[in-house]
This record gives sequence, structure tokens and C-alpha cells, in this order.
Amino acid sequence: MNPTIAVRMVGADFLKLRKKRGTLIWALVLAVAPLVIFFIVKAVQHSSSPTEHSPAGGVGGYTDALRVLAFFFGPLAAIMIGTDGGAGDLAAGVFRDLVVTGRSRVALFATRIPAAVGLCWLVVLVGYAVTLIGTYALASGTPTPGGALVVNGLLFTLFSTGIICVVAVGFASLTGSRPAALTVLIGWQLIASRILENIESLGSSRKLILSQAVAHFSPISLNDGHGPRGGATVTMSTGTAVIVALVWIAVFCALGAWRTRTMDA
Amino acid sequence: MSELAIETHGLTKRFGERTALDGIDLDVPRGCAFGFLGPNGAGKTTIIRTLLGLTQATSGTMQLLGHPVPSERAQALQRVGAIVEEPRFHMHLTGHENLRIVAAVRGPETFERIDPALARVGLSERTGEKVKSYSMGMRQRLGVARCLLADPLLLILDEPTNGLDPGGIQEFREMIRAMVEQEGRTVFVSSHLLDEVEKTCDAAAIVDRGKIVTQGAIADLAAGGGARNELIVGVDDADRALGILGASALVAEARRDDEGIRVVLVGEPQTAAQVNAALVQAGIGVIRLEPVRHSLEQRFLEITARLDTDLVPEEVKA
Repeated sequence: MNPTIAVRMVGADFLKLRKKRGTLIWALVLAVAPLVIFFIVKAVQHSSSPTEHSPAGGVGGYTDALRVLAFFFGPLAAIMIGTDGGAGDLAAGVFRDLVVTGRSRVALFATRIPAAVGLCWLVVLVGYAVTLIGTYALASGTPTPGGALVVNGLLFTLFSTGIICVVAVGFASLTGSRPAALTVLIGWQLIASRILENIESLGSSRKLILSQAVAHFSPISLNDGHGPRGGATVTMSTGTAVIVALVWIAVFCALGAWRTRTMDA
Repeated sequence: MSELAIETHGLTKRFGERTALDGIDLDVPRGCAFGFLGPNGAGKTTIIRTLLGLTQATSGTMQLLGHPVPSERAQALQRVGAIVEEPRFHMHLTGHENLRIVAAVRGPETFERIDPALARVGLSERTGEKVKSYSMGMRQRLGVARCLLADPLLLILDEPTNGLDPGGIQEFREMIRAMVEQEGRTVFVSSHLLDEVEKTCDAAAIVDRGKIVTQGAIADLAAGGGARNELIVGVDDADRALGILGASALVAEARRDDEGIRVVLVGEPQTAAQVNAALVQAGIGVIRLEPVRHSLEQRFLEITARLDTDLVPEEVKA
């Protein structure tokens, strides 16, 4: 497949996702609304009792908002978009019409990934913009994050949401069902992995949990007794974290591609 | 270049214990409308899905436009357009956007065919509307437009008139004929509607229980294999007439039926004049002499009824 066709196919997949109003609106709500609520609540608390509650913005506000975006709601938005990207053609019944063009099924799968990740990142960028607005506008004279932290925070947010989006595309392509993939991945992200993180008897095998590997790259400290999303933190080397993240991506991409290639369309 | 648009040999597809296609040998010539006729569940959609690579054959070989499938599937499908079962689309996108998606997958040269394809099926005015607002007929036409993006030498249409009103069916028929006669394309139409195939197609195959029962030109199929010349003869003395016709070298078969005497001629249709003369010379008054127009429906019912009868002993044994 030549690059022109690849770019056009990614564009077509992006168009399908971008125009799906329900998915896009809910993803935006997930990425933005919790941050807005967070800053409003913190601002009200600070204004009612400045000595008891620190300002909503500043470094403290930025750190908390980044946790909300990069560990909680950003990944949920990424799952919404990724599962739609992975199973959208099947759900609409048009997968067979794409197969009968003669184009390789693996190519049909592969182009879903950049399209979904691209849209996911656009949505997350809006959330990150809200984070920065709240951080600086509501700092009330407290120190604000420097340029390096802002850039690292952005890169980390894109990384944490991008990786779960890729996993979601692969998993939805594997199951062929968006509702099933959505349920399983949200259940994993919000409940199962959090439980597993806290089972200390699992020891170093907890390094295999994706959110643990992702947390390793966080620019904000998570070693204050609270791991990612409030769970325990398992320490691991950068090499291990990279390998765990790559294995998650590789496994789900391989499964999604295999299923797309072999399924009856 | 192969003379055949579709060619299969011993094509078999099994789903577990169930045999959906049982050694299908199918030859579809280029440049014609070819009907693939059979009752619901006969295997029509399965063979289409197998030809297009939507499901894998269990055994057998097949070629599309001279390319073996699946080994040269991509080349084979480059000039094939297909609607499998009902045409499906992304409902949240417009007609034009849906075609852009397929054009992106087919290749850059396909984009310039979008507007002409939409114009060809009469949807130019509605391309900016979301597909969810389209009627069934419009979706069928949009499905054909999607096929035309490939500038297809072969169109494969699975039950294309399902859900269409009589006006829509007539339009569709005309479109298929124009594609064959004016544009030189081959159109393979599966249908369970005998009348539809008879009116639209030049040739057909009848499939039942996963097997091709017969295939050939529509007129030959309707006549029962060879082009039989039959007459209904009305006379004032049927017994004497049967005696004369039975002894005539011009007549292969003569028997009484509800309408009079059904006569199968040995030679060309013009032989009817000689038969008439023989009866008149014998002093028999000929009231009616009418060529029998064979219908595919009649033939189809004969074949499927025969198959049912053939199956009975097997079922009893089982």
C-alpha cells in the first residue's frame, strides 16, 4: 500500500469518527467536564475559606488536574473513541463493503489506529487546555508550573491516553462489538486494574498492569502513598515500563489484526 | 483475457456439518446479465460471499475476471463492484462522504468517479444529506454508485430489488440492462424472484440446496434444456387428432391437457403449419394453434418439485 492511499484511508477513518457526534460529545464531556467541575469546586472552596483551602490553580491545582485528566477521564475518553474506531465498520455493516474493494484486511485494521489516536489527542488537548487555563487563571499568586512541566505534562497526557486508545482499537477489533469492548475496558481501567494494583501478594507481577507502566513516565510525583488513581505504586525501571507498554500495544494490535484478517465479513 | 467473468469448479463451503455449497461449477460469460436463481437458503448469498473473499471456501477453485481467487484477490476485485445482502452505510455520514470512504480505500483515481457515479444513479441532488434520511430505494442506488467507483467490469448484486416498490424495481431493471447493453459490463444478479430474473437477465443458473441444478440461456432453461417447440392445439375431435399427431414424424410428443392437446414438435417452430395441414387434411377442424411460451417459473417449479420428490426416499431412509 503506497503512502498516498494510507494517508487517505486514515483520513477516511478519521472522518467516520469525527462525524460521530455522540461519541465525540461524550468524549469531550469526559475530558473537559470533570476538570471544569474540579476547578470550580476548588475555586469556591478557596474563596470561602482561603486559609483552609489552597487556590484552585498553581502547581498544586495543575498536579491534581493532570491526575484527573491523564489517569481518570482522559483514558475513558480514549476508550470511547478507540472502541468506536475498532468496531465502527462492523457495527455499521460496511466492513464487508471495504473488504470487497480487494484492499488488505490488515491495512483496513492498521489505518484505524492513527485515526482513533488522532481524534483522541484532539479531545485530550481540549482537556489539557482547560487544565492550563484553570492552573494559571486560578493561581491566586501561588507558584505556577514552569514550561518544562507543562510540556512534560502534555506529552505524558498524550502518552497515557494514546496507549489506551490503541489498546481499545485492537480489543474492539478483536471482539467485533463496541458495547462489549467498552464495558470490558472501562471495567478493567476503573475497577480490575485498581484492585490488582492493591493486591500486594501479587508482588512484582503487578508491573504487567498497563497503568503501572504508564505511571512510571508521569512528570508529577505519584509516590505520596497514592499510586495512579489512588492505587498502590509498583516501582519499576524505565526499560521495564517501556517493554510492558510495548507488549500491551503489540498484543492488542496483533489480536485485532488477526481477527480482522480471519473473520467472516 | 478469459471469456468468463466468473468461473468456479467444485466450489464447496461447509459450516460445520452443514454443506452450504456442494461442488458448484458455475460459468458466467462476460457482457451479459446473469441471474443466480434459487429459493431462500439455497446458497445464493454464500456463493457471493465466497467469490468476494468475505468467507473462505472449504474446497474448489474460482476465478473472477480471469484472476484466480483468493491468490490474486486484490487484482480480481479491482474491477468488481458488489452489493452483498442489503447495502449498508455509515448512517451518520452523507451519501457523498460514504463514497469518499470507499474511494479512499480503492485508490486516488477513484475520487473523480464519485460525482459521475452519484449522477448515474440519480442521487446528485441528495448527496449532502445523511444516509439515515434516505429511503430503501435511495440506499440501493447509493449501493450501486459505490459499486461504480470501481468502474466495474463485473457487478455482483445480491437480491438487489429487495424492499423496492414496483417503480423502483422497474428503474433497477432498466439500470441493469443499460449497464449490460450500453456500458458492456457483466451483471451477476442473485434473486429468488423468477419473474425478476426472466425480465432482466440473458442467462441464469438455478441453485438449490447448495447445488447448481441447471444453467444456460433463459430461453433454454425455460424450455427445459433444449429449446423445445410446443403448441397447444384445439380441435373438434381430440381422440382422432391424438391418433394422427402420435403417428406423425413431425411430432415428438402429443398429450391431452386442460387447454387442449399439447404437442412437442420435432423441428423448427414453422413445422406447426405442417401439423395444421395434416390435421385439416384428415378432416379435423382446428380451432386453436398456439405456441407455448415457456416461463422460467414453470421450469423452476418443475425442477424444485422434482428435487423434493428425489429427496423423499433419502429422508425416509434417514
